[in-house]
Amino acid sequence: MTQAQTASLVHYFADKQPLVADIFSRYPNSPQGKRSALMPLLREVQDAEGFVHESRLAEIAALCGTTPTEVRSVMSFYSTYHTLPTGKYHLQVCSTLMCALSGSDELWDYLVETLDVQPGEVTPDGYFSLQKVECLGSCGTAPVMQLNDEGYYESVTRARCDHLLQAMRLGSALAVDHHPVPVVVAEDGRQYLSSGEAAGGSTDALYPLPHQAAANGNPS
Amino acid sequence: MKVHVDGISLDLPAGTSAIDAVFQAGKDVPYFCAHPYLSPVGACRMCLIESGSPRKNPDGSFIMEGEGDAATPKIFWFPKPMAACTMMATEGMQIKTAATSEIVAKSQAGMMEFTLLNHPLDCPTCDKGGACELQDRAFEYGYGASRFGFDRRHAEKHYPLSDYVILDQERCIHCKRCVRYFEEVPGQEVLDFIERGSHTFIDTAEGGLPVGFQGNITDICPVGALLDNVARFRGRNWEYDHTHTTCTLCPVGCSITVDARNGSLERIVAGENREVNEAWICDAGRFGHVFASENRLTTPMIRNEDGELVAATWDQAVDAIRAGMAGLDAHDLAIFLNADSTLEEGIAAEAFVGLTGLASVDYWPRQATYGTDAPTLTEIAQSDGVVVLGADLGEEAPILELRILEMLRGGILPAEFHHGTAIADLRLVERPARKREKLAVISSKPSRLSEQAGFSAQMDAATALAGLTGSSDNAAVSAAANLLKTAERPILVLGAEALASLSGAARSALQTLTQRTKTRILALPAGANARGLASLNLVPRSGGLRYDQLSQARVALISRLNPLAEGQSRPRFLISHDTHLTATALQADVILPAVTNYEKRGITVNLEGRLLPLRPAALKNGEAADFIRALSIVAEALEIKTSIRGIRSAQNLLSERLGVNVAELPIHGLIAPLGMRYDAPAAPYTPLLWKEGMKRSDPVYHAGMIELPMASTPTFVAGDD
Repeated sequence: MTQAQTASLVHYFADKQPLVADIFSRYPNSPQGKRSALMPLLREVQDAEGFVHESRLAEIAALCGTTPTEVRSVMSFYSTYHTLPTGKYHLQVCSTLMCALSGSDELWDYLVETLDVQPGEVTPDGYFSLQKVECLGSCGTAPVMQLNDEGYYESVTRARCDHLLQAMRLGSALAVDHHPVPVVVAEDGRQYLSSGEAAGGSTDALYPLPHQAAANGNPS
Repeated sequence: MKVHVDGISLDLPAGTSAIDAVFQAGKDVPYFCAHPYLSPVGACRMCLIESGSPRKNPDGSFIMEGEGDAATPKIFWFPKPMAACTMMATEGMQIKTAATSEIVAKSQAGMMEFTLLNHPLDCPTCDKGGACELQDRAFEYGYGASRFGFDRRHAEKHYPLSDYVILDQERCIHCKRCVRYFEEVPGQEVLDFIERGSHTFIDTAEGGLPVGFQGNITDICPVGALLDNVARFRGRNWEYDHTHTTCTLCPVGCSITVDARNGSLERIVAGENREVNEAWICDAGRFGHVFASENRLTTPMIRNEDGELVAATWDQAVDAIRAGMAGLDAHDLAIFLNADSTLEEGIAAEAFVGLTGLASVDYWPRQATYGTDAPTLTEIAQSDGVVVLGADLGEEAPILELRILEMLRGGILPAEFHHGTAIADLRLVERPARKREKLAVISSKPSRLSEQAGFSAQMDAATALAGLTGSSDNAAVSAAANLLKTAERPILVLGAEALASLSGAARSALQTLTQRTKTRILALPAGANARGLASLNLVPRSGGLRYDQLSQARVALISRLNPLAEGQSRPRFLISHDTHLTATALQADVILPAVTNYEKRGITVNLEGRLLPLRPAALKNGEAADFIRALSIVAEALEIKTSIRGIRSAQNLLSERLGVNVAELPIHGLIAPLGMRYDAPAAPYTPLLWKEGMKRSDPVYHAGMIELPMASTPTFVAGDD
């Protein structure tokens, strides 16, 4: 969708009253509570349009009873919200230390060269856009690249990158990696892997270390 | 509540912040983000102190230290320095500042190092240089050297936030004062931090700042990040002659400091007057000063045989007046003066009129008045129900608007200490809850204030007044009437529109209403000193001419008014006393150069009835003189000996009449009874704050201003994309 097209659709939420009501129902019915709905509304627009156009800021601001400045302020805190159109495949390369040591800079340069896009641009076919992001938290499998909100491709070497891009160019991205990393923490403190398999022990099995127990008895 | 600062014991009221405790003790602590009229947030981390409090045992007794009678409550120190502006001082608290604590001194120096990490050291070229808190505090509390040897981060310089305010993003230290100001004071959330994190900058998504009160952020910016575009690059702080005086563009009478350089008025900054404008002034007051130094009349002028205006001496002006008035006498003279003239000028006019017995005297703008017991601005801020009727406060009295908004936030007025207003009043909060149902605004046009009101309606003042005093089927009007009825301290503000429609019947109905509901009325005066001049007999006597009947006069002396531009025709002989060659002055027979209110000494009376002093700034004005001088020139031509010849005799007469020594009025003013009011029918009047000449017109001057490439769609990039 081009910016001009987006701007011409004046109100995104105009025909989505139930959705808006649902989002607002999650927060207290007060001016402060209404402002809390800012993030899910932004997410909603971004999921639908790939980015949040300026005119949407004003719309969301009006819904939440705040100003576009505040919406922009909140939104700009997160690198996961986009103010410019993104491609069908928005590739986010982790550029923090561990990935940098494992060659994320080279990966980035390779992507910029082969796709011929800079941050903020989309390839002419509308498929690709690029972004550098801060730590994606998968240092053990660096360099890491995130595809949209779907998940990670890990240990992305030049060959793997070519393979992934090729698949995307053909119109279907390869499945993202599901490494056995803990992703869910249950109420009892037990962690589960993304596959649903329980990981590690529960907090029931934890006990204070002897020297800490001793220290707790003597606060000074 | 006993608090100890660096070993000095203080007795402080509960709720005092630690920073105020330090200042009350006469000690110092640096700060950037705290501001007396804004909520404390602890953003800059400069006001670090060491603090500790006694702690109690479960049985309520203090945990003691020492043996027997020498035992004292044990002080439990916080493990690290604390920001004093957000911490409340508590009973028995011990506070150590940099003067006594190595840790505090080191922390503050380290914090300063961080603040200066990316702050450009362009002090020699920064317009804030010489008035920059960062500069001063770095000198007092910094290391004097930095361990960060790398290049500073660069951001956009000269980034225009509006026509009047330029942002230098590099210099911003993220104290958030401007963001909090817009949010908390005028209630317009137009500024915020964008891209929070290491690249945070201040910006707006609204495409500019709202005109009204935006200039205040240039005052409160502790560094040179936000600068006044009208005054920018026109002088250094130490080159200015600072004159603390009173603004006379509207009847509020804000405290201002006039900064002049080489006889030219370059800058106006807000002065603090807790009772009147707190620390804020409106944009017209701040930026609309250019007329005082542009194209001034500096000598008298007379019309020669060819009908051209030529420069003349005062003696020639006297001769010209004498010649022009040959065959006429003082009774043929009409005197019209501006309603922002000082009380001294007014009383001189009154004395002149009394002496000559002339009937045509008037001041403009003048309108019907109502009531004598006007509430003060502080009382309005602390009221629990305000109705604004037929007024556009943005044009008539902008700062009153801020005081009404203060009422919506609960009317919390910061406490006062030895060092002045509390620096960090902990009762002030970010994003304060506003009780909008305490305000009703009814006017024929929507205004800025009506957007903030709980009840607002658009209707003409006469209908609204009738609805308010009788009954109305308009929801907002009946809500307003109910507000006056149920509030304990209700206040009704009447603007020009309402006062113009105050006919006999409406007036008595209003009287009944105010008596029944104990409502206090603030009738906005039409001019800066209209309230003061109303206490002098300066209205047309029987058979005399009003200002709008000027055309019928044989001879008129007009001071700083421009009736010919308003469609009136000139009298037979016209004497103009003005600062500029206005349309009226251009057609005058004799022009006497006038001083602006920035160059006058005298008294003005604001809408509360507060006497406020005007002090003369050092401006280049040639032979310009005040109205007292103009009157004595006319008197000389008429061979009359006036009793008031100068400011001193006028002040003696005023002091006698008011029972106040007006020559030594405190800068913050004084409320004194003004005595009876003189009233007469007046022409309808539409208030206008920004007048001709208040914006830079001279192309050379204009070139000095940064022109705004204010895109309709601002460039807009966030995140990393």
